Amino acid sequence: MQNKQIIGLLVHNHPGVLLRVTSLFTRRGFNIDSLTVSPAGIDGYSRMTIRMNGDDREVEQFINQMLKIVDVKKAEVLPEDSSVASELILVKISSAGDTQNDILAVTSAYHASIVNIGASSLTFRASGSPAQIDKLIGELAPYGIMEMARTGIAALDGGDICLSDR
Amino acid sequence: MMLNGSEIIAECLLEQGVDTVFGYPGGAVLNIYDALYKYSDKITHILSSHEQGASHAADGYARTTGKCGVVIATSGPGATNLVTGIATAYMDSIPLVAITGNVTNDLLARDSFQEVDICGITMPVTKHNFIVKDVHDLANVIRKAFKIAMSGRKGPVLIDIPKDVTGAVCEYTPIQPEEITNPLLSPQADFEEAAKAVNAAKRPMIYMGGGVVSADAGEQLLAFAEKIDCPVATSVMGLGGFPESHRLFIGTIGMHGGYETGKATDNCDLIITVGARFSDRVAGDREKFGKDAAIIQLDIDKAEINKNVKINYPLIGDLKDTLAALTAASDKADHSDWIDQLTEWSKNSKICQTPDSDSYAHPYCLIDEVRSLTSDEDIIVTDVGQHQMWVSQKYRFEKPRTWCTSGGLGTMGYGLGAAIGAAVANPDKRVVLFTGDGSFHMNLNELATVRSYDLPIVIVVMNNTVLGMVRQWQKLFYGRRFSQTDPHRKTDFAALAEAFGVKGMRIHNDAEAGSILKEAFALDEPVVIDCRISPDENVLPMIPPGKTVDDMITEME
Repeated sequence: MQNKQIIGLLVHNHPGVLLRVTSLFTRRGFNIDSLTVSPAGIDGYSRMTIRMNGDDREVEQFINQMLKIVDVKKAEVLPEDSSVASELILVKISSAGDTQNDILAVTSAYHASIVNIGASSLTFRASGSPAQIDKLIGELAPYGIMEMARTGIAALDGGDICLSDR
Repeated sequence: MMLNGSEIIAECLLEQGVDTVFGYPGGAVLNIYDALYKYSDKITHILSSHEQGASHAADGYARTTGKCGVVIATSGPGATNLVTGIATAYMDSIPLVAITGNVTNDLLARDSFQEVDICGITMPVTKHNFIVKDVHDLANVIRKAFKIAMSGRKGPVLIDIPKDVTGAVCEYTPIQPEEITNPLLSPQADFEEAAKAVNAAKRPMIYMGGGVVSADAGEQLLAFAEKIDCPVATSVMGLGGFPESHRLFIGTIGMHGGYETGKATDNCDLIITVGARFSDRVAGDREKFGKDAAIIQLDIDKAEINKNVKINYPLIGDLKDTLAALTAASDKADHSDWIDQLTEWSKNSKICQTPDSDSYAHPYCLIDEVRSLTSDEDIIVTDVGQHQMWVSQKYRFEKPRTWCTSGGLGTMGYGLGAAIGAAVANPDKRVVLFTGDGSFHMNLNELATVRSYDLPIVIVVMNNTVLGMVRQWQKLFYGRRFSQTDPHRKTDFAALAEAFGVKGMRIHNDAEAGSILKEAFALDEPVVIDCRISPDENVLPMIPPGKTVDDMITEME
């Protein structure tokens, strides 16, 4: 069954490690939704969070292939029901006409805050699960999205579990 | 002690027990070659005609010894010329360390003369690669490179070293490498589960591959097969890993395997896969491969599980350990009814060849004549194409590491370089290269190397004047439109050999094959034998790509 899965990687913070990971996506035909990279909070390591499309066998293959990269220390699925996952969006909406109040009604429902006001635009910042962000975009679309940028997902295990201990 | 980077490279090679390297000098490796001059009493350098030849030689050295091959090349074109050799080794899991020079640190990333990003280029065809920008990191990187190449599933590692690093001086302290051990990753319970399937099987079959040779696990495989009385089929890569004269050996499996191995795959109820990877040349139709069988897979690489075929019982670890554990957990069995059935099927496995002729020798005749002149320990190298498949079908391999062929990448031009590496590594053994006129044309420049080092390689050129394998596919699938496969080159390989200072001979038909080969073997010097074979000779049987034994082609015009 095809579904979205989140995978956390701990990688040695070496030059070229991002290329080693991403080149496998095309070489092995993995279907990636988003990728984020950041310091892992452990000296010498970065953390990558990857959201991919695939059935269980593809996810297993993805993890096993990732673990063959010498610089990849850990690769684990972060299960949806026991992890915290979030992404951030910046979205610029046209405020021409008299739709401002309607836009604010939508954005406040998603706890999006105004971060910039232009002559005929409003820029909002919101964060949440990819599903929530997708929904927000859907509701804002009729008002005219001028441009937007999404960060891709960041995710951690819930509770006291850490990727480095798994 | 204080040493420069190049001396550190030499010292680190010695730490790893390396006494032979292959390569070709150039501007960016001048310092390294200066150190090789200094260390020439401890490290033998074999100079090839072309870096590709050196890379295949390091590969042949590794395949026939089990040691890590080492190849050195300069920056830019020297480095890119290694790429095919590295990719060949990668596809067949052969341990290599490739050392390339690069331009100095301050010239990097400026499109300097002979600069190329060889780490970027080789990323998809190496287990790992390094660029060493500081001489203080050099020794540890070299140690790591050997460890990566030789541990787990083996493979090539590249180290790129800017020229200034090879000249910079720093403190060097020798470190003896620790023994490489591969952990047994599957728990005992998995072996017991798999053994239940082994014990329940009525029609089991072992499908072995190159992993058996790589892990030196032939003995363990033999013990296992005998205990459970199970027929053994091999991929082309696994040849030599199990004695072909053994009663349980049934032949190669896949596109040009025998009828009985195909039928065995279709009719067995359990496949025990040992160090093999279900490539498209074996499992043409992934869905139908072993359709009625449960599958046990023993491999060192977890990523091979469920990659091409769904596996019921994965057993992960060094094959020596996993085979021993599975053998211990399995009951002794007798499958004589099943083996009798396979013997019955094998009667349908007829060998087709063109009619007898005075102007052509038959490939099988040449192979049989060579076999009668070689011992079980002698080494057979091939190039890629029809001749390679004929040898895989006909030559009787009895011992591991006596077979060098580019199985995964299918590199035409591999053979002569690999034969050089094999001959350098095994001065006490006979090395025979079977090649075709197409493959031999690609890298015959290495005849110069063969002569320089007086390597007594017997080179059997199966010369049909056409690109036979591709032509065979054009016959079958492209309406006999022989696009660019009938070059009919006029090369006289015997005369060409003489120009390199190598003895040249000719075989025109079966009748003279035996006596001329005997003469060639008696020379104990390099010799090229131009053997005329028919352009219409085919490799049969053949399972078309993506198909099963039911679609096997056994006869062609």
